[in-house]
Amino acid sequence: MIQRNAKIGAKNQNSARQGGDRALASIALQDVSKTYGKVTAVADVSLQVNDGEFMILLGPSGCGKSTVLRMIAGLESVSSGEVFIGDAMVNDMAPKDRNVAVVFQSYALYPHMSVGQNLAFGLKMHDMPRAEIEQRVRRVAQMLGIDELLDRRPAALSGGQRQRVALGRALVRDPVAFLLDEPLSNLDAQLRNDMRLELVKLHRSLGRTVVHVTHDQVEAMTMGERICILRKGRVEQIGAPLDVYRHPANTFVAGFLASPPMNLIPCQVATADGTKREDGALFIEAGSVRLRVPTPYTPAYRTYNAQAAIFGIRPEDVHAEPSDPGWQAIDVEVVAVETLGAEVVLIAGIPGLEGVEFAARLGRHYRAPIGSMQRLYLDLAEMHLFDPRTTMAVPRDM
Amino acid sequence: MATRTRERRGSIVTHAVLALFSLYIALPPLWVLRTSFVPEAQSYSIDLMPAFTLDNYVKLLVKDKFWLAYADSLAAATISTLLALPLAAMAGYAFARYRTGGNASRFVILATQMLPPVAIVLPVFTLFRMFDLTNSVSGLVLAYAALNLPFLTWILMGFFEGVPVELEWAAMVDGATVWRAFWRIVLPVSLPGLAAASVLGFILAWNEFLFALVLTGPDTATIPVQLASLQSQNGVQIAEVSAGVVLGVVPLLIASRFIQRYLVRGLTFGAIK
Repeated sequence: MIQRNAKIGAKNQNSARQGGDRALASIALQDVSKTYGKVTAVADVSLQVNDGEFMILLGPSGCGKSTVLRMIAGLESVSSGEVFIGDAMVNDMAPKDRNVAVVFQSYALYPHMSVGQNLAFGLKMHDMPRAEIEQRVRRVAQMLGIDELLDRRPAALSGGQRQRVALGRALVRDPVAFLLDEPLSNLDAQLRNDMRLELVKLHRSLGRTVVHVTHDQVEAMTMGERICILRKGRVEQIGAPLDVYRHPANTFVAGFLASPPMNLIPCQVATADGTKREDGALFIEAGSVRLRVPTPYTPAYRTYNAQAAIFGIRPEDVHAEPSDPGWQAIDVEVVAVETLGAEVVLIAGIPGLEGVEFAARLGRHYRAPIGSMQRLYLDLAEMHLFDPRTTMAVPRDM
Repeated sequence: MATRTRERRGSIVTHAVLALFSLYIALPPLWVLRTSFVPEAQSYSIDLMPAFTLDNYVKLLVKDKFWLAYADSLAAATISTLLALPLAAMAGYAFARYRTGGNASRFVILATQMLPPVAIVLPVFTLFRMFDLTNSVSGLVLAYAALNLPFLTWILMGFFEGVPVELEWAAMVDGATVWRAFWRIVLPVSLPGLAAASVLGFILAWNEFLFALVLTGPDTATIPVQLASLQSQNGVQIAEVSAGVVLGVVPLLIASRFIQRYLVRGLTFGAIK
């Protein structure tokens, strides 16, 4: 145990991950539900978090992601289904016996204790000898750069310092898994970026299982090894960040995972002559727009021929210049031009399509007068098609 | 120039009103203080200080053995509060955190306070006589603890509701049982509330008259009962009563002064959450 902490102190990456001296801390949820009276907060969630994995639970507020986290920690009872930590079914195990640590959004530092006492509390609860408690507290405090603050009360700390203390309180116990409940959401933007990176480094050096709850897509994309996207208590999609980003399972995931979200445009799928022929080119029609589906996708999308569908394309796959001969042009009417410095986000309307806003991420020098007609070029190799009824993506091979 | 005069005039009016209200509040206790130092014969005089004497205090303490009542009151108020407070804390916590018994039980708790004491005192007397608890301070202690329990529970419930549940969660994840999280985290954080509740409980018990009158005898009378006994056929011995009131108020002044800081914070803390 001590030896492992020494390794952490030396920031020896991946050392603990290879150490075989500890229990496996995979976390598994099988058909887990949580109901409060008639309200269902979490419905049939099944999720496997591998030992040492950094898993993100992503979703809008009220989607049940924090409830899932609390059920893993044992702070909420499970209405049905089973929760496993390692090999043990922990449904009826008290939080204190699960050996997981939680960092809360509010940090939940004990206000009547000094920073040092906050860090030591969990160790005291486990009846650890005083000398070892002191040693561990010192080491974690040094590691997080809060060793100057050990005698201070939480009220006398800044937001960033409190965040570190909360993190330290989790680290000092050397738990098998870390459960983080939006730990970065109370920090200002700069500090959040720093801590994001630091958490990832920490995870890499400790090799512990992490379940990180957030509503921030940037955190999800940059921190997680896998993302689990939740909506209304249900799992929408689980996968590696880029996989989920490139192959969203439905319109919700497509819209949620990025900002600005994927453009989703109700459309009609048709052949060149409007018949139900089984070969030939396929077209996407929406208002004044008519786009030719790339040949490799036509077999997959042909089932939607002569039917309504939802056409999806990410704003970054829309370009101002036809740099590639395969890109197809559309004409749009400029509604707003948001200059973000590094890029320009163009918000536009499509003639003939009421109420549809179309976003494009363009180069930072792009300018266009409001209300003018502009030609844009779509990279349809990156297009998606969704079923309008089920909102599910139409599967294709690439 | 004109505005300054107007400002000053406004300030004078404000202070005059404040002074009037202060006088309205302070005059009765000040008059009691004055009367306690005035000979009995002149106590109803409207002179500010016709004569100065300490006789009332001497008579009260030596002849009427007022210090016995003092000790009884102190014992009854202190012990009953110490008895009720832990129970109230646990009950209040259960109501606040686990919603024990639902909203109905919360209302019932409050409803017990709505009964006029007169309706309870005789059944309590009958009951206590069965157990030989009348004419004793211990009976009074039990009665006060029971009477104050709902009130203290209600106050503390408000406090515990103001304690973020994440604190307890953090403690439980840190390895504490529910009980230890309550003991090590919730109670220390709620110290202002506990202080406020205990002072209020003490004051209620200290000033209580009806139960003390019915449940105690001549040897176990508390301060209010003893003072009431100074009414004789010759009328109320108002100077001596005043001296008793002054002595009776002293511990309350000390107590509230001592924890005023907690009391003020405590009363608002529970209210705004």
